[in-house]
Amino acid sequence: MASFTPYTYIQCPCHDTTTTTTTTSQSRPAEDAPSPTSPHSSDDDDDDHNFDPRAPRSNYSLYPLEYLLWCDVCHQIRCPRCVAEELVTIYCPNCLFEVASSSLKTEGNRCTRSCFQCPICIGPLAVQSLESAPEPSLLSADNANTATTPAGPWILSCSYCNWNSSEIGVKFDKPQGIFAQLQKLRHGEDSHSKHAVGGDTSPTKTDSVAATMKARFSAMRSFYSAQNAIANPSSGLGDYGFSSPGALSRIMSIYSGNNAGSHKQKSKGTMTREADSASEGFRALDLDDSSAVSQLRRDGWDSTVIGDQAKSQVEEGARFAEELWPIPYLLRTKRSKRCPVCRHIISKPESKVANTRFRMRLVANTTIPSISIKPFNPPPALLKPLQPVQYLLTFRNPLFDEVKVTLATPATTPGRFASRVTVLCPQFQMDPSTESGMYLVDDALKDDNKDIQGRRRRGTEGGTHQAEAGKIWERGHNWVTIVVEVVPASLSLEAPPALLRKEGEPEPDLSPLKEDEDVLEIPMFVRLEWEGDVSHDQMSTSTGKEKDAREKKELAYWCTIGIGRISQE
Amino acid sequence: MSRKQVKGEYIETDTGNKVARKAILIGTQHIMLGGKTVIQAEAMIRGDLARTAQVPSSSGAAPGSNTAVAIGRYCFLSKGCCLRPPGRIYKGSFTYLPLRLGDHVFIGEGTVVQAATVGSHVHIGQKVVVGEFAIIKDYVRVLDGSVIPANMVIPSFSIVAGQPARIVGEVPEGGHEAFELRELYKSVGNNPQPLPV
Ligand SMILES: [Zn+2]
Ligand SMILES: [Zn+2]
Ligand SMILES: [Zn+2]
Ligand SMILES: [Zn+2]
Repeated sequence: MASFTPYTYIQCPCHDTTTTTTTTSQSRPAEDAPSPTSPHSSDDDDDDHNFDPRAPRSNYSLYPLEYLLWCDVCHQIRCPRCVAEELVTIYCPNCLFEVASSSLKTEGNRCTRSCFQCPICIGPLAVQSLESAPEPSLLSADNANTATTPAGPWILSCSYCNWNSSEIGVKFDKPQGIFAQLQKLRHGEDSHSKHAVGGDTSPTKTDSVAATMKARFSAMRSFYSAQNAIANPSSGLGDYGFSSPGALSRIMSIYSGNNAGSHKQKSKGTMTREADSASEGFRALDLDDSSAVSQLRRDGWDSTVIGDQAKSQVEEGARFAEELWPIPYLLRTKRSKRCPVCRHIISKPESKVANTRFRMRLVANTTIPSISIKPFNPPPALLKPLQPVQYLLTFRNPLFDEVKVTLATPATTPGRFASRVTVLCPQFQMDPSTESGMYLVDDALKDDNKDIQGRRRRGTEGGTHQAEAGKIWERGHNWVTIVVEVVPASLSLEAPPALLRKEGEPEPDLSPLKEDEDVLEIPMFVRLEWEGDVSHDQMSTSTGKEKDAREKKELAYWCTIGIGRISQE
Repeated sequence: MSRKQVKGEYIETDTGNKVARKAILIGTQHIMLGGKTVIQAEAMIRGDLARTAQVPSSSGAAPGSNTAVAIGRYCFLSKGCCLRPPGRIYKGSFTYLPLRLGDHVFIGEGTVVQAATVGSHVHIGQKVVVGEFAIIKDYVRVLDGSVIPANMVIPSFSIVAGQPARIVGEVPEGGHEAFELRELYKSVGNNPQPLPV
């Protein structure tokens, strides 16, 4: 079994729509409403409901600390699921060129420069001359110089699996504008200009005019908008299509029957018809598979595509390897994030692709402490059932204020296998993190710190190495280590004697171990209290007097701590 | 490299580099270290594979210098990794081109890097192969066992895995600081400091 790395996941408050929707006008759809089985009684007292990290719903609100953002205004945790994202920049991950959102609408969501992925292995494709030795001309700096070297047909080739485009009969006249050349080869888009591309395009490629989804869609759309114009000549829909808001409102007025004056306008004579020819975007399904069957017989399975290859193609329906085309890179985005409740921006990257800085980046790990887990003694690979083990949990305070921490765990973990959990020191203070010049101060004080740590350690433990209830295990300048003792449950399931079972009690669940049910996870409620600077809106420029004002702050959340796997003996 | 200490596993230079005595540096005159970089035992840097043909470099290093491998500050080269400049045919003859690493670049055990450039704040896991002329931008995490094909470009804030490698995720906003290697730098050497808990 793979080794187990302890983890901490923190629950975002968006798991509980009952509290967020009542306080805000959050536009979360009803799918998030609590399921009928969940207890409703907890509305008035949410600290009371116990949190089960194994509940299927919990998966959607538990995140590692670094994934969580922080809203300064709401003073609350925000997660990738609940923030509202907005596009800042659209770019190609291969050439790193920015794409304007307007050209996205016309050109689609793929790079139209010469960026392609291998249809076989998705590695990057490079333009190469068929004549000479391989030359990766994609290196931007040298691009200008490569023109001096070979001419002749060019191909796209994959350095990872050695596939190249000549395998599907695709060669290019020039090493530039590959996207347009490939488009022509594949779809013969502008048929009037005889494409000057190398002559060996197989006939199957050129005769499929309007075979692409895009072409069929536009043919169909123009056909049906013409039909609509015939059907409703007065409405003038034909002029606008369906895309303009004016046309939409006109449609609405037609259907709502507000134009009462024009009764019986739609006479039976102007019935629309459906598309029935290729020029109208119609395509009959080819039910004759005999050629595919004979090809399969001839070339075997090796000539067929695998699911992933077919899925990553731009056009659907590829069945044989020779139908696989180079894949233009899907564009990627940089996105800013808004708090779902107050709509303030909580994360905003710089718009330039090459710039990795952020204009705004409010992350939760600057407020809430990180928790790291270490076994007290070097552990066996698996936890032994019913044998107590101790773990050291280290809380590190990122705030520049002293923080009081209160922890609570259920006495036993939820689920079929209840392990016993005891937090030996559920309440403690963490000293503030040092000022921004942390590293310098750290370096200078390193040796002093060690002394202090050593003293404190001895002081708290009184010389013994025994974990004591109510006492901190160890403390540093902004961190505290405490001990948690767990008694792992036994994973064996035995039906209790029938005599002991009460009438009407549900049948015990004796089904075999489910996935990860052997992982010991501790739900832990963390409550932080501190006195900090008065929080103000991002805009307000506070005067010196206000700056000094302090207020009591409080934050509470659930987290789940994965300790280890229990042995199945 | 002036030796400050005679004993110890590492040679510590004036600029704070910690180079294991068992590290294999070939062609040191073509290797540039920015300082505060750790090179562990059996890590290999092929400085001998310097450029042979004279490429008119417009985007280049200082004239006259023929650096094969340039490494920034706070880089960490783990045991048994290998930095090897990429090579190709240029104007009919084969030549190597320089390999550049930014700052805070971690390279895992047994990993081979033949990239053209690796940006800053990059974590490359164990047993990874970075193919020739690959370009890795800033804040990229390459998971263990990945094979990055030659010429692949990996944009910033990508998490990359697989054979061949593909982008499998994004580095979260709260994960930027995890790329810092200052603490790790302090934790190795002839008098290592313990890593903070
Ligand atoms: Zn959330
Ligand atoms: Zn591109
Ligand atoms: Zn390939
Ligand atoms: Zn907010």
